[in-house]
Amino acid sequence: MLARVANNLFWMGRYLERSEHIARYLNVNYFSSLDAPNELAQSREFVLRSMLFVADEEELKLEKPINERDVLFDIGLNPEKHYSILSSISNAQQNANGARDLISTELYESINILNRTVKNYSAERFVKSGLFEFTNLITSNIASLRTKIRATLLHDEVYAIIMLGIYIERANQVIRIINSKYNDALIEKVNFDTPVKTSFEWTILLKCIETYDMMRRYYRKPPSSHNVLEFLILNTDCPRSIMNSLNNIKYYMSFLTKEEYPHKDSAAFLIGKLSCEYRYKTIEDFQEDLKEFIENLVDDLSLVGEKMDKDYFSLY
Amino acid sequence: MKAYTKLPIFSTYEFDSRFYDEIFTSNKEVREVYQTLFKLFSEYSVNDFVSLNDKAKDAFFNQGITFQVYSDKETKEKIFPFDLFPRIIGNDEWVKLEAGALQRSKALNLFLWDLYHDQKIIKQGIVPMDLISSSVNYLKQMKGFNPPGGIYNHVSGTDLIKHSDGEYYVLEDNIRCPSGVSYVVGNREALKRTLFGVFNHYKSHNVSDYGQNLLEIIESVKPKGVDVPKCVVLTPGVYNSAYYEHSFLAKQMGVELVEGRDLFIENDFVYMKTIKGLERVDVIYRRIDDDYIDPLVFKPDSVLGVPGIFNSYIKGKVCLVNAPGTGVADDKAVYTYMPQIIKYYLDEEPILNNVHTYHCSRPDELKYVLENIDKLVVKPVDESGGYGISIGNKLTKEEIEKVKITIKESPRKYIAQPIMSLSTHATYIEDENSFEPRHVDLRTFTLLGKDKDFVLKGGLTRVALKRGNLIVNSSQGGGSKDTWVLKK
Repeated sequence: MLARVANNLFWMGRYLERSEHIARYLNVNYFSSLDAPNELAQSREFVLRSMLFVADEEELKLEKPINERDVLFDIGLNPEKHYSILSSISNAQQNANGARDLISTELYESINILNRTVKNYSAERFVKSGLFEFTNLITSNIASLRTKIRATLLHDEVYAIIMLGIYIERANQVIRIINSKYNDALIEKVNFDTPVKTSFEWTILLKCIETYDMMRRYYRKPPSSHNVLEFLILNTDCPRSIMNSLNNIKYYMSFLTKEEYPHKDSAAFLIGKLSCEYRYKTIEDFQEDLKEFIENLVDDLSLVGEKMDKDYFSLY
Repeated sequence: MKAYTKLPIFSTYEFDSRFYDEIFTSNKEVREVYQTLFKLFSEYSVNDFVSLNDKAKDAFFNQGITFQVYSDKETKEKIFPFDLFPRIIGNDEWVKLEAGALQRSKALNLFLWDLYHDQKIIKQGIVPMDLISSSVNYLKQMKGFNPPGGIYNHVSGTDLIKHSDGEYYVLEDNIRCPSGVSYVVGNREALKRTLFGVFNHYKSHNVSDYGQNLLEIIESVKPKGVDVPKCVVLTPGVYNSAYYEHSFLAKQMGVELVEGRDLFIENDFVYMKTIKGLERVDVIYRRIDDDYIDPLVFKPDSVLGVPGIFNSYIKGKVCLVNAPGTGVADDKAVYTYMPQIIKYYLDEEPILNNVHTYHCSRPDELKYVLENIDKLVVKPVDESGGYGISIGNKLTKEEIEKVKITIKESPRKYIAQPIMSLSTHATYIEDENSFEPRHVDLRTFTLLGKDKDFVLKGGLTRVALKRGNLIVNSSQGGGSKDTWVLKK
C-alpha cells in the first residue's frame, strides 16, 4: 500500500471516529443537563463550555461570550471551524476520496452520502430543534460505516490502517472526555461543595461513552469516580476503555510489522510497551493524581501517532 | 408492430428534417428498435420525469462521480449532465462499428511503428513527410525504440457521428489518454438505479468487463524478464477533473492508483513508496500527457510527472501505456490520410467512413477553404476538447474574416471539413421540462495488447445540451447518455 494512501486511510478512520464522539458528547451533555440535579449542571453556559472544552480547548481559552446558537453551530455545522462535526466528516470524505481505489464502493458511497447529508443539513434547524436528530444521525451513520469497514473490506493492511486510526482517535477522545467531565466535577465541587467522588458528572461521562448500562451491570453500584475511571481506563472488556483501545492498536499494528522483536524506536515497540504498562496499573496508582495521569496518557498516545507517521507514512 | 407517433411527453418534440433523428423516422414514426422504450417513457408524466431526473443526479453525487470547480469563494462539486433517455445501437449496426474501430486502432498502431522505425509509408509517398517533420507531437526520442509487445496505442477512443445520410463517420481518433470510459459504466449504473424497469424489455450487452480486459491488456505488455507484472494507474491527483475515472479504473483492475510523487527512480527501475518501503513497478497506465510525464525530458516545471521515468521506459525497465509519442498519429491532419493508412498496412478497405477533409497546407485546398468558410468547420490540428473550432454557418462576417487571417498565418495548423450534421436524439431538457432533439456523437473504446484486443460493447454517447449546438465535449457543457448495444 502506498504510504500516501495509508496516511489518507489512517486519517479517514480518525475523523470518522472523532465526529462520532463529538456528536455523542453534544447530545448527552445537552440533554442530561436539562434535568440535572443541581443548578450549575443545569446552566446553559456550564454545559456549552464543557462542549467547547471537548471540541477544541483552544477555542475556550479565547474567552469569548458564550452564546448557545453560536456554540452549537460552531461545533456542529460551521465549515470555518476545523473542530466542527461538518469539518470532520468532510475531512473523512476527502481522505476516503484519496484512497477510493482501495476501499469498497459501498464504503466510499456511504461516506459520500453522509458528507452530502451533513453539508445540506439546515443550520437553522440544527440550532433550533435539530440537535437530537442531527447528533443521532451522525452516531448511527458512523456505526453503520464501521460495519461497512468491517464487513466489506479485506482484513488486511488497508483495514488495519483504518482501525489504527479509529482506535488511536478513540483512546484520545475518551481520555479528553474523561478529562472534561473530571473538570466539570471539580468546578461543581468548588461552587456547590458536592464531592467529586459521587458527582453526577460520572453518570454523564458513562453516557457520553455509551457505557452506563454495562458499567451498572459490571459493578452493580452507582457510578463514582473510583469505579467509573477503573471501568473506562483499565477494563479490557469495555469496548471504549483506554485499555481496550491500546490492545486493539497493538493488535492492528501487528498487521503492519511482522517482526517479533520490533526496534525500540518503532511504533510497534512503543505500543507493546504501553499496553504492558497499562495492563498492570490499578486505579489506586493514579486516582490521587488523575490530572497528571491524563496528561501522560495524552502524551503517550501522541507519541504513538508520531512514531506511526515515521514508520509508515514518512516515505511519502 | 404499431408505430407510436407523438405522445404527451414528446408533445413539444420539434423535428428538424436537416438531421437524422435517432428515434423518429422522417415520417415522424418511432424507429423499430426504440418502440418499446418510447412506449415505456410515454407512460411518464412531466412531473414523474422531474423527480426521476433528480434521482439520477443523486445517483451520481452519491457515487461520487463528480468533479470540482474552483473559484475564489468556494469549491463546488459538480456532475456531468446525464440524460435518462438511453441510446440504443442494434446488433448489426454494432458489428460494423466494432470491426471498424478495431481496424483503425490496429492500423494506427502499425503506422506509429513505421513512423518511429523505417518510415516506409513516407518513403513510398503515401503520406507526406511534413506530416511528421512539422508535428509537435512527433517524439524523436522514440525513434528506433521497440515498445513492449509492439503496442503504442493500447487504449484508443474513436469518436463517431451519424450524418444526415444515416451513415456513421469517424470524426477523430484519440490515442493519447482517451477518457470517458468510466462514464459508460457510471451512466449504466445511474440508469439502472433510476429506471430499472426499462432493462427488462431489452437484451443489452454488459459494460462492466472493461476493467478486467484493460488489466489483461496492460499485463500483456510487461517488460522483458518480468513474470507477474506490478501494474499501477498514474493520475495527476484528486484535483484533476478525471480523478473519478482514474480511481475507478484502478479499483476495477485492483491495482494501485499512484501520483507522480509516489514514484521514485533508482538504477532506472521505477519504485513506489509504500508503507513497507520501495516496491518495484512494471507497467504504468498513465493518465498524464506526454508533456508532463517527465520533467527531465519534457516540461521541466511539471510537478505531476516522475523525473527519469522516460529514461526507464527507453531502457525497457517499465512499460508506459499508452506509449509516449502517440500524439503524432491522432493529429487531425493524419486523420485525413486514414483510408490510405488502413489500406497500406492492413490491405483492407476502411470499414468506417472518414469525413472529407481539406488541408490548409495545400495551396489549392487552402483556396477552397478560404472561399467557402461559411460551409465548413475549421479545426486546429493539434487541439483537443473542442477548443479552437469555428463552425462556418454560425459565424458573422467579421468572424469569418478573423478566421481567414488566422488560417493564413499558419495554414499547416488548420484543416477544414464540410459541416457534418450530427444526428439528434431525444434529450430531456431541464429548463423546458420536456424532451427535445439534441445532437449526439459516440465514442467507442478499443484496447490493443500483445496478441489480444478488445472493443467495449457500449460507448459514450455525448450530447450537446444547448439547442443547435454541435460541440458535445464535456468541457464545453455537453452531457451524456447510457448507450446500449443490443445482443443478437
